[in-house]
Amino acid sequence: MKKMHKILPVVVHRIVLIFYILCAALPIYWMINTSFKTQGEIYSKVPTIFPKEFVLTNYITVLSDPKFLIAIKNSLMVAVVVVFISIMIAFPVAYSLTRRQFVGRRSYSKLILFCYLLPSSLMYLPMYMVVSKLGLVNHTAALFLIYPAFTLPYCCWILMPHVGAVPTSIEEAAVMDGCGKIGVMYRIVFRLALSGIVSTAIFAFANCWGEYLYALVTLTSSEQLTVPIYLSNLIVGDMFPWGEIMAGGVIACVPVFLLYMFSAGFLSGDRNAGGVKG
Amino acid sequence: MRSEKSAANPAGSAPDRLPTAAKKKKGFDFFPYLINIPMLLYLFGVMAFALGWGLVTSFTNKTIGTTAVFNGLTNYKYLLTNPDYIQSIAVTLKFTLLALLFKLLFGTGMALTLNQKFPCRNAVRALLLIPWSLPNIVAVLNWKWIFSNNSGIANYILKSLGIVDRDVIWTGVAGLALIVILVADVWRGSPFFGISILAKLQTISNDYYEAAMIDGAGPFTRFFKITIPFVKDTMMITTLMSCIWTLNSFETVWLLTGGGPRGATTVMNVFSYKTAMSQMMIGRGLAVSVIAMPFLMILIQIISRKTMKKNAE
Repeated sequence: MKKMHKILPVVVHRIVLIFYILCAALPIYWMINTSFKTQGEIYSKVPTIFPKEFVLTNYITVLSDPKFLIAIKNSLMVAVVVVFISIMIAFPVAYSLTRRQFVGRRSYSKLILFCYLLPSSLMYLPMYMVVSKLGLVNHTAALFLIYPAFTLPYCCWILMPHVGAVPTSIEEAAVMDGCGKIGVMYRIVFRLALSGIVSTAIFAFANCWGEYLYALVTLTSSEQLTVPIYLSNLIVGDMFPWGEIMAGGVIACVPVFLLYMFSAGFLSGDRNAGGVKG
Repeated sequence: MRSEKSAANPAGSAPDRLPTAAKKKKGFDFFPYLINIPMLLYLFGVMAFALGWGLVTSFTNKTIGTTAVFNGLTNYKYLLTNPDYIQSIAVTLKFTLLALLFKLLFGTGMALTLNQKFPCRNAVRALLLIPWSLPNIVAVLNWKWIFSNNSGIANYILKSLGIVDRDVIWTGVAGLALIVILVADVWRGSPFFGISILAKLQTISNDYYEAAMIDGAGPFTRFFKITIPFVKDTMMITTLMSCIWTLNSFETVWLLTGGGPRGATTVMNVFSYKTAMSQMMIGRGLAVSVIAMPFLMILIQIISRKTMKKNAE
């Protein structure tokens, strides 16, 4: 009886755990599974747990579609440029909010939190009007203007704790050694907060990479798309090419997962240890 | 669905105590103002300008390709007497409430499960986070395939279990279409709750539980008197943030059901998108956002007050 009392919670825990694992993994497995099947097998009466005929046709089809390659190029370019600019603008903001005293500091940080929480659905029509006034509809350049609306407040807000965590003693030591204000900010604090900055950049990249609504309203020509819009545009006709859609989906996950793995594997560890003696 | 990414630190942190070195400043320091200029330019030059222009345009009959003419409160009067709009608000609220309830439930369960000791814990944790780290569009398209009327696996499972005897048209019945968008939203959103609550759970010292056990508290008492009070605030902030994002879901609904059948899953943003982009009534579409604005402002205000308070502690 005593043993029962000890084992039962463990058994229940493992069952719940397996339930969660299955919930998370099965839909993803189904996507990968489908991406390796032929159209005939996908639409067969009895679905197959494993591809009967393992084919790469779907991957080859999407990757040889120039529109998909353009979409990947557009998405990468927009995400990289927007994230780079956002970090460059947001880092000084986070620095001044955590390290400097100035009038309206509290309201300013509140304003940034407010913008971070402001949903894109409130912004997409006003932003659409701005880019159409500028004649940027159907240009990926429009996204350079729009995407900072969510990446900038996001980067500022998430960078603050990272910048705040850099020990002040290192900064003070640099000032003692005659380092200027900008020098302290970029040469000391930026470098010491680098792992936090890189992980913030990765999350911001993922947000840009998967963004749908803004891109949907701004990019309408089928020549200049981003990856999410390209994928959703594959849903046409009566028999959706699920194999290709799933293959495209798997490809769309690749950069995001590579970056997450990078951030989990290489960015752990305390970079600031040993900066100041005593 | 953007930025559900800061899970480990959903509310970030606000600066409340400055390092002492920063306070010992002589004279007026221009430096913090100068380095904030680019941010302020974007905030006011682009975002505030766009929002202001949007607000003004919501009082006009602006359509795509025509110039705007003021028409007073016509858009608002039209919306508030339009049964489709009223329905879309009701659908949004129903969808959001149900989605939040399930996300909180599954998220809390996930956090409690991951908080125990078991083999390969880090790997399992990473695996459970995958739904939330996928681009939403990929998750949504995958659910569209699973719930497809034509060879979808959901139908096959239900048929082989003998629950139904012919293919279910998931997007053809109001209740089923709601289930489809709920499944997609909850599947993707729950890990955000799980990971936020887990982060808080891991800060609870074991001393509390040991002391409670010595005093003879059972597992339920320990859960409700120690665990819940500890994570209550985190649950609240996470739910409120997710509430904003769920109220504003767009692609999950738009791609899965298109708002159908007969408007049964037309959430507010699908309504605004259809009005502004399909019917090209930009002014009217903007009015939908403007009506939602005060309610969202209140939500944002509650969150920012709670976050600031939390950080001050």
